[in-house]
Amino acid sequence: MDALVHSLQVWLKTTQLYYIMNNVSWAWRTSESIHFIGLCLLIGTVGLFDLRMIGLVKRVPVAALHRLIPFGILGYVMNVMTGITFLAGASDQYIYNPAFQMKMLFMGTAGLNVAVFYLATYGRVAATAPGDEAPFRARIAGGVSLLCWVGVIFCGRFLTFYRPPWHWCPWC
Amino acid sequence: MDWKGFFILMEEGGIGKWVRESPSMLAFPTIIALHAVGMGLLAGTNAAMDFRIFGFARRVPISALENLVPVMRFGFWLNAVSGVLLLLSYPTKALTNWVFYLKLTLIALAMVDTWLIRNQVIQKSGMDDATVSARARILAALSLACWAGAVVSGRLLAYTYIYLDSSFDVY
Repeated sequence: MDALVHSLQVWLKTTQLYYIMNNVSWAWRTSESIHFIGLCLLIGTVGLFDLRMIGLVKRVPVAALHRLIPFGILGYVMNVMTGITFLAGASDQYIYNPAFQMKMLFMGTAGLNVAVFYLATYGRVAATAPGDEAPFRARIAGGVSLLCWVGVIFCGRFLTFYRPPWHWCPWC
Repeated sequence: MDWKGFFILMEEGGIGKWVRESPSMLAFPTIIALHAVGMGLLAGTNAAMDFRIFGFARRVPISALENLVPVMRFGFWLNAVSGVLLLLSYPTKALTNWVFYLKLTLIALAMVDTWLIRNQVIQKSGMDDATVSARARILAALSLACWAGAVVSGRLLAYTYIYLDSSFDVY
């Protein structure tokens, strides 16, 4: 496993993307800017839907609010793509960074949560009338989603402060 | 006025010094992380409101958008407080960079715009109104442009500053 991760990290440094991110002056800042716009799209739609699930903004009808989710998916895709540019640009600074590893863990948990939500819960949630509380399972899913995305943002900002090899963590 | 003296005063103040120099993850790292969360809530919820005015998610009543205001307000105060703390930690860096003033101007414009949208569109909309005026769409487009500009200029502060602290030579 370690060898596989290491070879991925080394391979990333041979890519064209690595070259662009490190030699084109505006590349990194442009990716960062897009990454933050994507963050806003995701929190403003998926995060807002989560807030509705846990019992805030209750006057907004659930199924209608759900129609904004495609903007959240757009934000997610923007952030995965720009995220890959950072990863390729400084692979060693990300792959061995405990904040990055935690960020991936939060993203994975958010993904699992959203899969369970659509497979088992959404059908019953969509019928929730304006002003009504969402079913218990939906409240849990909304809470988990919010915690995961706030975790993703925190870990993203913590990346700078846990740069390898000048850090300590239980598994490093 | 002696600007350099003013920068030194802020940099040496207890709060700014703690935010900048404390080894605790609760100092600078947590404050800047909260600033990103607040950004998502404030700019993101504003964007959701703008998308609805453009005609997406039509079955959300325009009048129900008033319910998003507490979320925006929470994001705003989270960022006002965390932003002041970040400013106190690196006053010279921000105040000597014109991009910082651009960011503040864009936020001010976006907030006036949101106020106009609430007063002239959301609060005047009946329960069943599904469509909005061309004027409302222009306000929503301006809102999106201002927030996107504020987010990008905020991000660019890390790349465009000239002086990091008051140790620069002005004489």
